[in-house]
Amino acid sequence: MAHKQFRFLGVVAAAMVLAVACGGTSGGGTPTKTFKIGLVTDIGGLNDKSFNHLADVGLEKAKAEFKIQADVKESKSGDDYVPNLTDFATKSYDLVIGVGFLMQEAVGTVSGTFPNVHFSIIDGAGTDAKGVDLKHSNVQSLFFKEQDAGAMVGVIAGWLEKNGKAKKNKHVVGAVGGISIPPVNHYIAGYKWAAKMEDPSVNVLVGYSNNFTDPAKCKGQAQTQIGQGADVIFQVAGGCGLGALQAAGQGGVYSVGVDADQKDADASVIASALKKVDVATYTAIKNVVNGQFQSGALTFSIANEGAGYAIDNFDPPAELKTELDKIQAQIKSGALTPPADIP
Amino acid sequence: MPPIVRRLAGGLAMPFGSVVFAFVVGALIVGVTGANPFSAYAGLICGGLGIGCTQGENPALEISNTIVFVIPLITTGVAVALPFRAGLFNIGAEGQLLAGSMACAAIGIKFNTLPSPILLPMVLLGGMAAGAVWAGIPGVLKAVVGAHEVVTTIMLNYVAQWLLRFLIIGGPLQLGPGTSKSLPIGDGARLATLLPADNSLIVLGLPSSVFRVHTGLLIALAAAALFAFLLWRTSFGYEIRAVGQSQKAARYAGVSVRRTIILTMLIAGAFSGLAGAIQIAGVDHNLTDKYFSDTTGFDAIAVALLGLGSAVGIVLASVLFGALHSGGAIMQSDAGISSNLVLVLQALILFSIAANFVGAIRRGLPIGRKPSALPPELPPAAGLMSEAATAPPETA
Amino acid sequence: MSGVEDIFRLLFTANLWQATLAAAVLLLLPALGGVISERSGVVNIAMEGMMLTGAFFAVVADLAWHNAWLATGVAVLAGALMATIHAVVSIQFRADQIVSGIAINIFAAGLTVFLVNRIYGIQDIGHVTPSESLPYINVGGLDQIPFVGKVLFQQNVVVYMALVLLVLVHVVLFRTRLGLRIRAVGEHPQAADTAGINVYLIRYSAVITSGLLSGLAGAFLAIGVSNTFVPNMTDGRGYIALAAMIFGKWTPVGAFIACVIFGLGEAIYDNNSIIHVSPYLLSMLPYILTLVVLAGLVGRSTPPAADGLPYVPGSE
Repeated sequence: MAHKQFRFLGVVAAAMVLAVACGGTSGGGTPTKTFKIGLVTDIGGLNDKSFNHLADVGLEKAKAEFKIQADVKESKSGDDYVPNLTDFATKSYDLVIGVGFLMQEAVGTVSGTFPNVHFSIIDGAGTDAKGVDLKHSNVQSLFFKEQDAGAMVGVIAGWLEKNGKAKKNKHVVGAVGGISIPPVNHYIAGYKWAAKMEDPSVNVLVGYSNNFTDPAKCKGQAQTQIGQGADVIFQVAGGCGLGALQAAGQGGVYSVGVDADQKDADASVIASALKKVDVATYTAIKNVVNGQFQSGALTFSIANEGAGYAIDNFDPPAELKTELDKIQAQIKSGALTPPADIP
Repeated sequence: MPPIVRRLAGGLAMPFGSVVFAFVVGALIVGVTGANPFSAYAGLICGGLGIGCTQGENPALEISNTIVFVIPLITTGVAVALPFRAGLFNIGAEGQLLAGSMACAAIGIKFNTLPSPILLPMVLLGGMAAGAVWAGIPGVLKAVVGAHEVVTTIMLNYVAQWLLRFLIIGGPLQLGPGTSKSLPIGDGARLATLLPADNSLIVLGLPSSVFRVHTGLLIALAAAALFAFLLWRTSFGYEIRAVGQSQKAARYAGVSVRRTIILTMLIAGAFSGLAGAIQIAGVDHNLTDKYFSDTTGFDAIAVALLGLGSAVGIVLASVLFGALHSGGAIMQSDAGISSNLVLVLQALILFSIAANFVGAIRRGLPIGRKPSALPPELPPAAGLMSEAATAPPETA
Repeated sequence: MSGVEDIFRLLFTANLWQATLAAAVLLLLPALGGVISERSGVVNIAMEGMMLTGAFFAVVADLAWHNAWLATGVAVLAGALMATIHAVVSIQFRADQIVSGIAINIFAAGLTVFLVNRIYGIQDIGHVTPSESLPYINVGGLDQIPFVGKVLFQQNVVVYMALVLLVLVHVVLFRTRLGLRIRAVGEHPQAADTAGINVYLIRYSAVITSGLLSGLAGAFLAIGVSNTFVPNMTDGRGYIALAAMIFGKWTPVGAFIACVIFGLGEAIYDNNSIIHVSPYLLSMLPYILTLVVLAGLVGRSTPPAADGLPYVPGSE
């Protein structure tokens, strides 16, 4: 690398070197130690009605149970990721949690600088600029098999279509995504795969609003799909997707929530695909408090109840319940593997 | 309005007063919602300036982080301030910055094997050219058909944002399927950091790689100096100011208003484009989704206004806004106050500067002259909407 | 290209035009506000912030009092309050009106999220139930007319209100003494003052009216189109409304036509699950169209003569 340093500055700086390496004193602490946990949101902020919010919920839960000092930083722009993570790292936090896929590179950089500080990142890994996992020993990736959750709600959608139990029964269902990025597409992949498995004749419409914050944009997407005969709408677009749920309510069709249980968002919500970011955050903190931090990937799926589904404003027929239990058991056992990429 | 209020308004006219006003009102908002404004501001000052930190923050790191934010603010601040002087309101610094970052990334990726002495000037100049084009369109539209630059630049901001999305999501610069960023630029396209990006070298108690201040700082300061030189030491600067004072008078004085408008916008765009290129070359090294949420070009408007359009003022105002941005996160983690308070403070500073125009104008005017509707010294943007209506009736 | 064919086929569906009208109204209300404000001579680029504030307070009020109309009233007042700040700063203090407008927008973006954080904390802001939302109303009889019924008479109550307001604003501006006064103040405040018109009063009222309308749009967005507040949910609509106002040459009807064109773009975009055109190119379209109009290719767009000029009594 052709780094052209400012030599005199380097010399001055070197002269001022204080050999005070930031002490990482975490690990098997005494029971009286207060653990310091730092959470950095991505640009969605704490009120994104999606994973940033859920991460905060997990943090609060941990705060109630363990002796921890929990601090949060909301990133106002992508420029904030590195300084926000660095600040916690320099202050010797016991665990620094980055929320979201968008922070991968920042976590990769900062974790390399502070090998004695533990990092967790939700939906990603600590990567270099090319997106290659750096596999730092102080980084834990909290991944989710969104496709598992997507598959379960896909089963519901497909089963309703196959058995003529939906509203229009034209064998059309829809999914409204935010932006076409991996966490969104995993959900849709599982959903489409399972719906097709249940009802091979089903047509799964997939639209992207290119937006995560404006409900009107997702509402429009959902209305289009409803106009095309879709009678189950799966939202995969955070705050924007709330508009899709509402469109389903007004269009007299069913909808499916995402990430959290969105039962209260609209009466049309019959189920939610759950991605338990709160559980993941809580688990990561618990492990650190117990001195059991593990680097590498920790994947949350149906198998370890880190992903799943909730039945909401809907009373499923016994047959559907049986089917759901069967598929869930098969995914759990590995007999069925929902795809991560949209088929 | 009673005279006392008027005098008070006049006294507050200084930028300093604007900042104090913003902080007082901000404190009220924080207080009313049941939090402690003093601890909020302590966090803000620590995070922004490295002063009075209580939670073990490293002052040098805080200052370094602030400077990283300051660099693009200075350059885009100039890009807003220069057109102000010509009576043009460049709200498009953000779009121009994006254009510059896209061009820089595209060139830096395409020619990633070239050595630094060739590639670095290429990416910086490429960014400047792209920014100039992005600002030149409004410039030409304004000069030829009289279309307001306020609206055209806003529109071009959006066009740039969607172009960026196109490029890195599914478009030619996308790193790979499912990603929303580009490949990194070649090593030769990167600006060096002042301290080596070395994790094992300990400087001031921290690995030196955390200090991200890069040589773009020198370019930014040079840009500010160039702005001052251009405006006050060249005949073109005179023409800019003449057009800003009065297009009619400038025309009588033999200044080509059209040419001045177009050139001013081109230069301003080059500054913004440079800011975008510096961000890629100095900080990010690749084009990422973080640029979707970038607001530097909008903060630059406040910087230009608070800096009263002078080079030193722009640098100082950039330091203030960089410190606010940088300090918000420390405020949130130390004092538990949402960093969105920073936006509220920025808006209050803007209101305050804007509202104090009156006082500033009064004091700036020769005694005895009636106050006129058009501020003669400050950015005469107030008049531009009406001037925008009529294309300069000029035959060349 | 099949994409073009798809769009062409789409243009003959009632669903598309129903969505277009709803999307247009979200832009029309702030655009009408902009027309009134700028006709009186006060540049207003603050519709975005006023709308966002309206959206936030609509949800807060609806969650507190469980009444959509009360909530809408609060939203309208919140929009008006923001507009009052703009009015005081730009009329009384003769501040730069664009700067004041930008400040309003930043202020609204920061304040709303700050307040969500402070008020609701970890609970986050909740959802408004359908019975407490602004209702969708099918106009009895008329809604069954083929095509037209679906487009015009199966809409949210705010859509009907907006269409009435459109006519009202047009009539007031161009057919009444009040409208004449507003336009006089925007074209030549000195002359208007000499003729005994209270320039400040007219300008204050006009700016505050723009806040009322933008606040209504915010309520429509938050408790009509959707049922909660999401940070930054207005997503630049205030700026597109600004473009629509200019596109429409500062007239209510012109702005409406522009809003329909932009709304159509949005509605076509919403069909990207069934048509195959780059979503990014579609998204650029409204902005590029506006640039084309501004370039004079579709006729010149001229603002009121004194638009943006603070009025100083006694100046010539």
